[in-house]
Amino acid sequence: MHIAVCVKQVPDTTEVKINPETGTLIRAGVPSIINPYDHFALQTAIELKKAHGFRVTVISMGPPQAKSVVQMGLALGADDGVLLSDMAFAGSDTWATSYAIAKAVKKLGKVDIILAGMQAIDGDTAQTGPGVAQQLGIPQVTFCVKIDVDGRKIIARKLIDGGYEVVETRAPALFTMIMPPDYTSKYPAFLDVHASLRKPYHVWSASDIGAENHYLGLKGSPTQVARIYPPPQREKAAMTNGSSQEAVEKILDIMRKEHFIE
Amino acid sequence: MPSMDAISRNLMLDSLRDYARKNIPYDFIREKDQANEFPDKVLKDMYDHSILGVHLLMVPEEYGGVSGGTYDIYRICEALAHIDLGIATAVFATFLGTDPLNVGGTEDQKKKWLQRIAKENLMVAYAATEPDAGSDLVNLRTRAEHVLKNGQLAGYRITGNKQWISNGGVADLYTVLALAPGGPCWFLVERNMEGFAPGKHEDKHGIRLSNTAALSLDNVYVPKENLIGEVEGQGLLQAQAVFGYTRVMVAAFGLGAGWEAVEQAVRYSQQRIQAGGPLSDKQGYTHKLIVPHAVKLEAARAYIEETSNRLDGGEHGLQTEGAIAKYSATEAGNKAADDAIQAFGGYGYTRDFPVEKIKRDIKITCIYEGTSEVLEMTIYRGRWQEHLKSRGRYYIDLADRMDALHDRNPEVGARAAGLALRALAAVMEECRVQKLTRHQAITFRLGRLISMCELAYVFAGASAKERYSESVRFDTQAWQAMSRIFARDAALQMATEGLAMVLGSVDTAGNIAAAVDMDGVQAVQKGMMADMDLVAVKLKQTFKAK
Repeated sequence: MHIAVCVKQVPDTTEVKINPETGTLIRAGVPSIINPYDHFALQTAIELKKAHGFRVTVISMGPPQAKSVVQMGLALGADDGVLLSDMAFAGSDTWATSYAIAKAVKKLGKVDIILAGMQAIDGDTAQTGPGVAQQLGIPQVTFCVKIDVDGRKIIARKLIDGGYEVVETRAPALFTMIMPPDYTSKYPAFLDVHASLRKPYHVWSASDIGAENHYLGLKGSPTQVARIYPPPQREKAAMTNGSSQEAVEKILDIMRKEHFIE
Repeated sequence: MPSMDAISRNLMLDSLRDYARKNIPYDFIREKDQANEFPDKVLKDMYDHSILGVHLLMVPEEYGGVSGGTYDIYRICEALAHIDLGIATAVFATFLGTDPLNVGGTEDQKKKWLQRIAKENLMVAYAATEPDAGSDLVNLRTRAEHVLKNGQLAGYRITGNKQWISNGGVADLYTVLALAPGGPCWFLVERNMEGFAPGKHEDKHGIRLSNTAALSLDNVYVPKENLIGEVEGQGLLQAQAVFGYTRVMVAAFGLGAGWEAVEQAVRYSQQRIQAGGPLSDKQGYTHKLIVPHAVKLEAARAYIEETSNRLDGGEHGLQTEGAIAKYSATEAGNKAADDAIQAFGGYGYTRDFPVEKIKRDIKITCIYEGTSEVLEMTIYRGRWQEHLKSRGRYYIDLADRMDALHDRNPEVGARAAGLALRALAAVMEECRVQKLTRHQAITFRLGRLISMCELAYVFAGASAKERYSESVRFDTQAWQAMSRIFARDAALQMATEGLAMVLGSVDTAGNIAAAVDMDGVQAVQKGMMADMDLVAVKLKQTFKAK
C-alpha cells in the first residue's frame, strides 16, 4: 500500500503574539514547528510502514522554508517528500488548500491511505483533511487514535464522547489523527536527518499538479479572514476567603448585587 | 568542513532540545550535581545513533558521520550549554579528542579510528594538561620511548601523568600528548591498555555532571600506528591548528549558559512584584542586571558567527579570532550568570533555582581551553603584530569602514564603533612610541580593549545586514539598539581606559588626550537611555513569564 501523509508547518503557538494595532500575527523570531497532530499522523504512517512494508509519501504546502517539515518526515522514515510551493497557493483557505492537496495526491498515482492531523494548531479549522477526502470522493474517518490494516480493510479507532468507536473501511480512504493519551512524539536522530537529504524530494507548482489558478490562493478561496484579534483581557477576579460556608455567602452576595440571581 | 544546510541543522537542534525536554529535567540535573555524578545514561543516549548521535558532527560523512561545520558545532554547543554545561563538556571532550585525528591523522588512521568513533559510539578524552603543564605545554613531562623489534620501530612506551582530563574516568579512547624523541606527539590510547589507569572523579566547584579525572600512564605500550600522523614532533602544531575552532565551541558554551541565566532572570522579573510593580518594569533592575548582559552576549554571538563562517569558508587558523570569541563570550556569560543570581535575590542564592548552578558551571569556561588571561595575551600578541605591520593603519582602516557604514546605515552604532577603533589605534601607537608594552599589565589590558572594539565592529556590520542569522531571536529594531548600546559603551571605555592606562605609565604624554576624541565619544552617547529602555521591553516580549 501507499500512504500519503499531509503535514503543515505552523508557528509555535505558545510563542505567538498578535500586533494589537494591525491585528496580524507577529511572526518575527517565532520558531516554526510541525503541527503536532500531523506529527502523530506521520508517526502512525511510519509505524504502518515498519509493520507492513508500505511506502510513505509526506506532503506539505507552504513557502520554501516549509521544506523543513517534509524533510523531518523523510528523516523519520518516509520514502519520498513533496512540497507544494508556488505564489499561486498563497492565501488559500481550507477549500483551496484541499483542492491543491487532492490534485497533488492524484499526481502521486495510486494512494491507498491518506493520513492528516485532526487540525492545525494555528488555524484550528479541522477542515482541510476532510476537504481532501471530499475532493477525491473517498471515505473519511476523523479523530482517529489508531489505524490497523488487514488486507484492503482498514480498521480505525476513533475518539468519541466518553469512549472510542471502531470503524472499518476499505482503501482508499482518508483518516484524521488525534494523539492518544500515552503518545510520545519522536524526533529524528542526526544520522537520519543527514540521510534524508538523499531521499527523493520534489517541489511542485500549481501547474505541476494541473491545478486551475482560479481555484487557488485568495481569489480561489470562498472564505476570507476579516480580522484576527486577541480576546480582551479578563477583568481581575474577586477572591473570597474564610470557611466554605462564608465564602459561598460572599459569592451569593456578589451575584445578587450584580443581578445574576434574585 | 563547510556547514550543513540550515534545515538539517535546525532539525538536529530540535531533536536535541526535545530529548533534553523529555529526559533531562532540572530536578535530574540538580540531583546529579549534588551527588557529583556523571549522567552516563544521558551520554549513552546522546551518542546512540538511533536517538541522537551528537558525536557524529565531528566525523566526516565518508567515515560514517554527518560532517558538521564550525557553524553547526557552534549552534549545537550553544544548545547543549542551555541544557547543562557538564553534559556539554562531556560531549565537547569527544569533539576535542577527535580533533588531532581530524587535523593530523593519516588517511588510514582516520578511516580506522573515525569509523570506530562513529560506529561504536566511542567516548573520547583529550589528554594534554599535566600537573606542571597547563597553559604552557612546553613543560610537558609525559614521555614516549621507542620500542624496537628486530632493530625496527614497533611502538612506544608512554609514561607520565595527566591532570584535569574531561571524560578522564569514562572515555573509551584517549588522545594523549607525550614527548617522543622527535618532539611532542599525539597518541591514541585505549582504556583497556596495560599500565593505563584513570584517577578518581574530581570534586569540582561546577560542571559536576562532567567527569574530570587525572590519568596515570605507566609504561603503556602503543603500536607505532597509534602515533597520530605517524611523524614525531607535530603535536603542538596539530593542537594549535584547531585552537581557532575549539575556542569557538567554548565561546558557544559561554553564550548558551549565559543566555540561559539571562532568560531565566527576564522571565522571573515579570512575576516578581515589588514596590507596586514587576521588577521587569524597573530601570534600576533591568538596566543594571539584565540589559547590559543581553547586549554583550549578542555582540559575542555576532563575533562567534563571523568567525565560524570564516572557518567554514576555508580560512585556516584564526587563532586570534577564536581567542576573541571565547574571551568575550565566556566573560560576558560569567558576569551575566553572576548578575542573574542578583536578579533572583534570595531565591537565586538557593539550589531550588538553576541560576545558582549556572553560575558555578560557567566559571570553567573562563578557565579551560585557554584562561581569560592567556587569551588576553594571545589577542594582544596577534593584533600587536598587525598594528606594527600596517604601521598603525590596522584599526584606522576598520574605523574608516565603520564611518562608511554609518553613512549607509546610521542605526547600527557604526559611528561609535569607529570612534572606539580610532581611539584603540591611537592608544596602541602611543604604547609603541612610549614602549609601554614592557608592562605586562598593559598588554593584557590591550587584549581586552581590542576584543571589545572588534566586537563593536562586527556587531555593527552584522546588525546592518538585511537578513539576520537564524540564531537571532530579536527583531531588527531590538538588535540594532543592542549594537548601538554596545558600540557607545565600547567607545567610552576605550577612550577613558586607554587614556588612563597611558597617563598612568608615562612621565610626559603625547597628544593622546586629543587623539582619543573624547568630545566625539561623549556626543555619541546620546540616545543611550532610550535604547536601554527599548531593549528591556523587547527582552520581556521575547522571554515571557511562564
